Order: sequence, then C-alpha cells, then structure tokens
Amino acid sequence: MNHLIQFSSSLQGYLAVGAILFALGIFCVMTRKNAIGILLGIELILNAAGINFVAFSKFRTGLIDGQIVALFIMLIAAAEAAVALAVILRFYRLKQTIDADEASIMRN
Amino acid sequence: MLGETLHNIKLLAPEVCLTLFLCLLFVVDGILPKMRTNRFSMITTVVGCLAALVLTCKVGQTPEAYFGGMVVNDGLTKFFRYFFYFTAAVSCYLAFGSNEIEKQSRMEFSLLLLCTTIGMGIMATASNLLVLYMGIEMVSIISFVMAGFKRDNLRSNEASFKYLVFGGVASGLMIYGFSLMYGLTGSLNYPQIAAYLTSTQGNLGLVFWLALVLIYGGLAYKISAFPMHFWAPDVYEGAPTPVATFFSVGPKAAGFAAFIRIFLTVFSVKTAEGNWQMINGISLAHVIAIISALTMLVGNLSAIGQTNVKRILAFSSIAHVGYMLMGLVTLDRSGLTAIIFYLIAYCAMNLGAFWVVSVVSNIRGREDLDAFRGLGWSMPVLGTCMAVFIFSLTGIPMFSGFIGKFLIFGSVIKSGGFLWLALLGVLNSVVSLYYYVKILKSMWLDKPESQESLSLSFYHAVGLVGLAIPTIVLGLYFTPILEFAERTLSNIL
Repeated sequence: MNHLIQFSSSLQGYLAVGAILFALGIFCVMTRKNAIGILLGIELILNAAGINFVAFSKFRTGLIDGQIVALFIMLIAAAEAAVALAVILRFYRLKQTIDADEASIMRN
Repeated sequence: MLGETLHNIKLLAPEVCLTLFLCLLFVVDGILPKMRTNRFSMITTVVGCLAALVLTCKVGQTPEAYFGGMVVNDGLTKFFRYFFYFTAAVSCYLAFGSNEIEKQSRMEFSLLLLCTTIGMGIMATASNLLVLYMGIEMVSIISFVMAGFKRDNLRSNEASFKYLVFGGVASGLMIYGFSLMYGLTGSLNYPQIAAYLTSTQGNLGLVFWLALVLIYGGLAYKISAFPMHFWAPDVYEGAPTPVATFFSVGPKAAGFAAFIRIFLTVFSVKTAEGNWQMINGISLAHVIAIISALTMLVGNLSAIGQTNVKRILAFSSIAHVGYMLMGLVTLDRSGLTAIIFYLIAYCAMNLGAFWVVSVVSNIRGREDLDAFRGLGWSMPVLGTCMAVFIFSLTGIPMFSGFIGKFLIFGSVIKSGGFLWLALLGVLNSVVSLYYYVKILKSMWLDKPESQESLSLSFYHAVGLVGLAIPTIVLGLYFTPILEFAERTLSNIL
C-alpha cells in the first residue's frame, strides 16, 4: 500500500497514467468505426500529453511553462472537438451514418 | 519593459496587420448584405496579404529572437512569410473566380483563408514547441473546415472528415512527442533543447528517439511525406479545387518551414563556416535520405494508374516533397539554397497546374482526363499554360522545375555518398513524365467530345499567364533568386 502511494505521487506514476491513456487513445482510434469514438480517442491522446506536461513541469523543471502548455492543449482540444462535431454532423446529414468506413467514395 | 514589448509587437507586424484585416472583414460582414460583400472581401484579403508582404520586407532587418526567445525573426521567417502571403493572395484570387466556392459564402472563405495564413506565419516564426503547436493547430483546424467547404457535396464532406481524423491523430502524436521532449530536455525553446542535446555527448536514451519518431509523424503529416502521405490524394480530390490549390502549396510549405527550423536549430549546431552540423549522436542523414526516396517512389508510382487529374497532381505533390527533402540530407548551404529555389519554382508551377484544373472543373463539372479532351485547341491559352506547368513539374530544361531539380540533385551528388539518391531522383523524374504527359496528350492530341465554343475569361487568363511567366523566366534567368536564397541563409539565427 505504501509503495502504491509513493508511486502515485511520483513522476513515474503520472507518466504511467499518461502512457496508458496514450495507448488507450491509439487503440480507440484504430479500432473504433464510429466517428465520435475516434474523436474520443484523439481526446485521450491529447490529455495524455497534457498529463505528461503537468507532471514534468512539477517534478522535472519546476517551472510553470509545462502547465501553461497543458492549458493550451485543453483549448485546442475544445476547438478541435467543435469543428469535428460540425463536420461529423454534416456527414451524418448526407449519409445518415457516422460510420468511418462509409467514408469511402474516394479510394486508390 | 513596455518599450521591449512594443518592439516585439513591431516584429510581429505582418501577423498584426493580417489580424486587423480579419477584424475589418468580420465587421463589414455584419453590416453589409451578403451578396454585396463579395468583391470587397476579395480585395480586402488580397490587399491584406500584400500589406503583410510589404511589412515583412520593412520590419526587423537583423535576425533576432523575441518574446523571450519563443519566436524568431530571421531570413527563414522572412522568406516563408513572403511565400505564404503570396500564395494566399493568389489562392484568394483563384477562389473568387471559381464557382466551386459559392457566392453567398465567399466572405467566410476569405476569413478562413486569412486565419490559415496567420497560422502559417506563426509556424514559420516559431522557435518554441508550444508556439509551433499553436501554429500547426491553427492551420489544421481551419483546413478541416476549408476542405469541407462545399457543404452539400459528399466528396467534399468526406475529404473534410478524413482530413480531420488523420489530422487529429497526427497532431495528437506530435504533442505527445513534444511532452516527452520537454520532459527529457526540460525546456520548450529550441536553443535550450539543442543545448541539452549537445550536453549529453551522444548518450541519448530511448525516450529521445521515441519523441523524435512521434514529432516526425506530426510534421510528416503536414508536408505529406512518407509514411503520413495517404490523406493527401483523398483530401485534394474531395476539397474544392481552389482549396486543394492552396493546401498543396501553403500549409505544405509551412510544414517545411517548421521542419527546416527544427532540423537546423534543434538537431544541429552552426559551424564556424556558416554550415550546420548534426549534434553528436544524432545523425539523421541516412534516415532522411530513405524517407525522401520512399516519398518520391510512393508519389510517382501511385500516380501512374490514376485518371482523375486532381488526384494525379496530389500524388505529384507528394513526389515533389520527396525531391525537396533530398536537399535536407546534406545539411549544407547548397542543399538549403536548392530547397528554397525549389519551393519558389514549385509555388508558381503547382498553383498554375491546379488553376488549370479549377478552370476545367468549372466548365465540365469534373476533373478526369476525359474532361480535358481537346481543350488545348478550344482554349489555346489554357492549353499552353498547362503545357508550361507540366513541363516544369516534370523537370524539362528551360523551365524552373528543371533548375530546381538540377540544384537539388547537384547538392546531393556534391556531398558524395548519396549518389544512389540522386540517381533515384532522376529515375523518378522519368517515371513522372509518363503520367504528366497523359494530361497533355488528352488536352492537345485527343479529339474533343463535341464541337463547342469555349473561351477563357480574362480573369483566369491574367492569373495563368502571371504564373506561367515566372515558371519560364526562372528556368532561364535564376541568379537573382539564388542570391536571394544565399542572403536568406546567411541570416538564419
């Protein structure tokens, strides 16, 4: 138990959470067919990076710049989600589905 | 403190100027009725871009880093700013003469174009990972909207959707790479990262290489280099042609700006002779050579079987990225001069080639090879200009593309050791001749489908001839551009 508490308040702990989130995000993007699912995967990846930045900023550099980056990442994620939802909505209007595999008129 | 801030803002004058024009457009859009603002918005956008171009010329003659070293104003910044503002102005002019951009939403198009242009400028000036990320996202997120500009067209929507998914993932990978790089080096500013990397004496751990691969993934997506090139054909085919025109030159060059800057200031140090040398332990010459070779091969080989001209040009733009990457292999002045010259030549010839596709697409409503049949005879100006652009893209002597390729291959051969890459480049140019000539064959040798009287409007003729002239002139008289490139390089911070 003590080890766990120590681990969870150390740099390694945060990095592990970040890495797991990143892996889950990649997995989500690769396997989901639903466009919203893919979007969620992208959000997971972005937040993994955010966690890394905050953790490094606290334990590694002691400066505030990493935390500022995390704020900017949230901002970008919100902007991206807004545009993504608009695009997905448009796609749904035209195709009546948000299955990513249906986006296949143009192929090599 | 205030004086310093004011000085810093002065150095950012082109971006400030574009933002002011953007605000002007917003206000006017709210006041005037929709249809009456069209001409106004085009003129405002073009004038805004030209004003930013003049400001770039006037502001900050000596290279310096400002805003705490987060942004730099040096030769490279200046060159890319000229490039972006010119490209944006030309794309805007083209878009307003095309019926693919609906009349009632042209104001929005100008707004988006100006926003993207500001983002591209930020990408070129960034000397800090956060600023670079903001610039890239500013370009990407707005590009998603621009790709889907034909709202009721399924292809346009699909292009936007694909661009969004791949773009989101690529930028996610990149920012995760940035976070690892930040953790490893303890800084976001390029010079400090370089200082840390130098201090390790070549003992770079696994984390560094992981971060490098992730960051490369994000940047390769922007310049559509192997292995992140697959989105380009779909997006260019589906997006409205003026938008594809812009994508194939503007954001791609912006990616190159970021790529070159990271390469020169993070992974290399300047030597006394004014060249650059890779930091001990990082030798990427072979990696870049292989990436460049694969990008060329993928672009050219995939283009062969295509029948949609927009798609052919998309693959050709991938191939051209491969040629340009060759200039980074040697990491010396001649290679970088060649890249700058190639970018200038590529700008004129690629904008021109896409322009022709846009005109044809307006007449016929489609862009496959059959749509080009006999157009050379019914519209000689269009056909001749297309011939000029195509010859230049192939790299036939007397045109600017040839000089660009000559300089690039020459720099690679001169450095020794990468002869195979130069030979592959020549071989690729020969392969590319096959699919380029198919377009010309369709335009000049095939009989038109029916007797129809077509004429090229003066509006488009001005643009096409305006791009064809530099394509020819730069093939014959290129010393001023080389001198300009030399000046640009001696001003890099």
